[in-house]
Amino acid sequence: MSARIGIVGIGHCRFGNSSEYDLVDVIAYSANDAFRDAGGLHLRKEVDQVLVGNMAAGMFNHQTSVASALISRMDMEPCPAELVENGPASGASAIRLGYMAIASGMADVVLVAAGEVMRVVSGWEATNIVATMAHTEAEYNMGLTLPGFAGMFTRLYMEKYGMTERDLALVAVKDHDNGAKNIYSHVQLPVTIEAIADGENANVVNNYVAEPLRMYSTCPISDGSAAVILVNMDSPKAKLFPKKPIRIAGIASATDTHCVHNRKDPLVLDAVRISAEKAYKMAGVGPKDISLAELHDAFVIFELLNSEEVGFFERGKSFLGVRNRETEIGGRIPINTSGGLKAKGHPVGATGVSQVVELVRQLRGEAEEGRQVKDPKYGMAVNFGGFGNNVVTTILAKD
Amino acid sequence: MIDFSVYGEQTPHISGYKCLKCGTIFYPAPMVCKGCDAHRDPVTGKHWEQFDLEGPCKLLTWTRVWNLPEGFNRKFLMFGMVEFPNGLRASGRIECVGDPVIGATMEASVIEADERPGAPVKVFQFS
Ligand SMILES: [Zn+2]
Repeated sequence: MSARIGIVGIGHCRFGNSSEYDLVDVIAYSANDAFRDAGGLHLRKEVDQVLVGNMAAGMFNHQTSVASALISRMDMEPCPAELVENGPASGASAIRLGYMAIASGMADVVLVAAGEVMRVVSGWEATNIVATMAHTEAEYNMGLTLPGFAGMFTRLYMEKYGMTERDLALVAVKDHDNGAKNIYSHVQLPVTIEAIADGENANVVNNYVAEPLRMYSTCPISDGSAAVILVNMDSPKAKLFPKKPIRIAGIASATDTHCVHNRKDPLVLDAVRISAEKAYKMAGVGPKDISLAELHDAFVIFELLNSEEVGFFERGKSFLGVRNRETEIGGRIPINTSGGLKAKGHPVGATGVSQVVELVRQLRGEAEEGRQVKDPKYGMAVNFGGFGNNVVTTILAKD
Repeated sequence: MIDFSVYGEQTPHISGYKCLKCGTIFYPAPMVCKGCDAHRDPVTGKHWEQFDLEGPCKLLTWTRVWNLPEGFNRKFLMFGMVEFPNGLRASGRIECVGDPVIGATMEASVIEADERPGAPVKVFQFS
């Protein structure tokens, strides 16, 4: 029988602008929050392994060895600590490695803390730093950025399946509706379809970023952190944590070609599909069992493509589900109840952990009024690294 | 130590790579052939052939990017993904008037670009 590993503490700061704070303090804030949630800061002495998720502190903050710095900031010496860098999937990868540490028997309690402080540099520079995840010669050197790729994807999808720019705006309206109710969201203002698609000033309010993607199809640049505490549910240490664990039923990752142009069909995200299939198999469930999902929507097109790859919709049909309000809270499969990256924000290294924190809040029944999904059993998170070339899918269960 | 700069070229080119053992072609360069598992030694290039990737190609998709990264002092740039007749695909910049058309035949050439700090880089230009 495989290990039973659960989440017994969650921490999160409000995403937004933390550029006046030190990155390590920002990450430690959520780590402290997670210990308080788990039963008290004294529990940090029970931790066998710390894993830190961060994508680019070396470039954004001119800081390296972030895991070592966090240990000292948290008074946790001599606990082992490592940094996990996997682009925008660093957070979920850190959770997956934490799961593996416990499953291997080398640890019973793991702190996964993740964060990014991006707004210390200009928006131009941030876009450039994030673009370094692309292939240096064949993509980055061309001047291509992540919004550029997302724009090309969106155009292909629109040509092939008949989706409109208004459909993209409908996803944004839904995400901002949810984000407005989330205390942790960067953007806490709802938007209307009139303001960003139907009204006469919509083209100005919702200007093009990478055609046909507009500003409201693109996540903001955010700072922030999130943390979770993982426990071997069958170890004596589990009894130290008063809250009922939310079990990690499935967690898996998969990779795809580094260069986007080298995929047989650029619209097919193999790494999402394969990681989801593996996570479903590990959890012993299928798409119909999932009560809600946090799907990596750095660009709105990703939310749609991901929701197809994980089996919630047939290929090319997800935007019709959005038109039918199937992905809203109360719908058939609520997606991005947190507001998603679109409204909650996307501090790149923190996002994967933030998604899992949202699932725990929902499965515990602790989400804010108006965005709590009714009696959820299973939650899924898809954290997308690179341009879909390194993806982690996590399925949590309320037992 | 090998000083690669002494082999600098006058006209910029971007290479595709062909494994001479099985004939599989690649762009960008791999370190192992997916067709026959042959390795590629980037110093000697033995058993591999380099060829210029340029000329006619078909436009697969495109975008016009308005928020360019640091160093690009332009209002916007167009980017596209193309497929060459040999089946290889590439991403690069588009230079054309108005909106390009998906499926249209374009001409790929290579320019040197220096928007970013450091040495100039080779860039595909589809027009
Ligand atoms: Zn070969």
